[in-house]
Amino acid sequence: MMPRLQVNLGGLSMKNPVTVASGTFGYGQEYDRYFDIGLLGAVTTKSISLHPRAGNRPPRLVETAAGMLNAIGLQNVGLEVYLSEKAPFLRERKTPIIANIYGHSPDEYATLADRLEKEGAADAIEANLSCPNVHDAKGGRGPALVAQDPQRVLLYTQAVRSATRLPLLIKLSPNVTDIREPALAAQEGGADAISLINTLMGMAIDPETRRPRLANIVGGLSGPAIRPVALKMVWDVARTVNISVLGMGGICDVGDAIQFLLAGATAVAIGSMTFRQPNVTVNIINGLSEYLDRHNINSIADVVGAVRTD
Amino acid sequence: MPFIKNCRVLVRHEVAPGHYRLGLRAPEIAREAKPGQFCMIQVAQGFHPFLRRPMSFERIFADGVSILFKVEGEGTRILADCAPDQEFSVQGPLGRGFPLDMEAERHIIVAGGIGVAPFPALAEGIIRACGRAPEVVLAARSQDLLLCDKEFQQMGCAVHLATDDGSVGDQATAVEVLERLAPASGSCIYACGPMRMLAATAALAERLDAACFVSLEAQMACGDGACLGCVVESNFENEGEQMVRVCADGPVFDAKTIHWEAHNYAADR
Repeated sequence: MMPRLQVNLGGLSMKNPVTVASGTFGYGQEYDRYFDIGLLGAVTTKSISLHPRAGNRPPRLVETAAGMLNAIGLQNVGLEVYLSEKAPFLRERKTPIIANIYGHSPDEYATLADRLEKEGAADAIEANLSCPNVHDAKGGRGPALVAQDPQRVLLYTQAVRSATRLPLLIKLSPNVTDIREPALAAQEGGADAISLINTLMGMAIDPETRRPRLANIVGGLSGPAIRPVALKMVWDVARTVNISVLGMGGICDVGDAIQFLLAGATAVAIGSMTFRQPNVTVNIINGLSEYLDRHNINSIADVVGAVRTD
Repeated sequence: MPFIKNCRVLVRHEVAPGHYRLGLRAPEIAREAKPGQFCMIQVAQGFHPFLRRPMSFERIFADGVSILFKVEGEGTRILADCAPDQEFSVQGPLGRGFPLDMEAERHIIVAGGIGVAPFPALAEGIIRACGRAPEVVLAARSQDLLLCDKEFQQMGCAVHLATDDGSVGDQATAVEVLERLAPASGSCIYACGPMRMLAATAALAERLDAACFVSLEAQMACGDGACLGCVVESNFENEGEQMVRVCADGPVFDAKTIHWEAHNYAADR
């Protein structure tokens, strides 16, 4: 019999449908001191770029109503340090690695995916096409997010697809008019799953100093404040594409996780809530089993997309 | 190894206008805690305020810790208004505390305002490790906002007071008082307070060839080194190390590692 919590996320077999959102879990070591991270359905890494990135200047973080704004700017150790220092630790844990990647061009994404697969340092690739906090144009605001342009989503997805046979997730931005368009473009480009949502762009100003709270001026909003928006977008996308969805955005407890599964997500990622409660993911995994018991359901897969709208 | 424990408030005391001390029963955390380390306290049962609040340990006892804070916003307001016997989820100990240089000829603590928070524990640690009390420079806007002066005196510290308005002690800055104490090579300075004060302390220490360790404050989400939200700019040149995390690489840093010029002082309140 298949374990009741097991799911297949676009070809990635997960023993339960719970992972962590990229950027909220480091490379796993930070939270392994609180619980066995091998209990997770998968670990999703902080974004990995070809070269190390210093990220944005501080302050990078401000708390807002039931959530937080961040503008980290993809600070990360870079591919080589990930391969030599981070991946070996994760490999020892009994859970697959979803390696989140960020590049400046389709070629860079392809190179990252190729290396990660060849080095055995990833079991799936999540291409971050949606970070709101990076300035890559010289001296000014970068181009609009790749995820805001379905044509570029198609191009970037095809590039990564041609470089790897690992399950490929494309992470989309909620900062669009119609989330279904980039989702369909990712599907057309060969993605195995859609990850959504990344943070919602936002801003906060200190009325006393008249200055933005973030050095980057704007940032990405996360936490329970964004959950209804995320849930609706997951529902929109799950009904539109015929590939899997990894749902995330403000999930704080098992009830929230089940909402995303009911809306059509095959698996869920927990983000900012880990900051507040490092072992929240374990509680959610245990809560999912209890939910199945209580509702007399055999498999969590039977919950996916089972929202009743009659 | 940090713990996450529900901790009962044993003591709540308004020590100065808008400034509070909470004593928390936290035996596991206290056993591991070192001066300069901190804890993250979940202030709300519901989801607002969402994040835990970082608080350095003011004192470390056998069965608990105390924290000292100024009410600045919603989170600290909730802590200040807590009921007797209320429990909070406390995560800690976190971060790297003060190094104890047994060889130092002089230990000098420099505190600006609520920046005094980690120093009673450090003073006790220095007394325990070195057998003599540190010198202490305490600065505040005015007499009623001077914190812990009696505690340091009871420990046997020579306490030098400075206020902006001259209501007690010298009408001077903390750094001016520190300079008069003439720290030199062989002295070890420990400082916590506003960034401007820390930058000036670091510059003075460098000029006088004294060791200097600063405890920094920052907005934090995780406290564990994962979110990268609390960073400050360092003098390390490697791009992967340019930003250091106040929570995990600090909160105590050798003052030489901080890139003081990079801080946006105009944005400080």
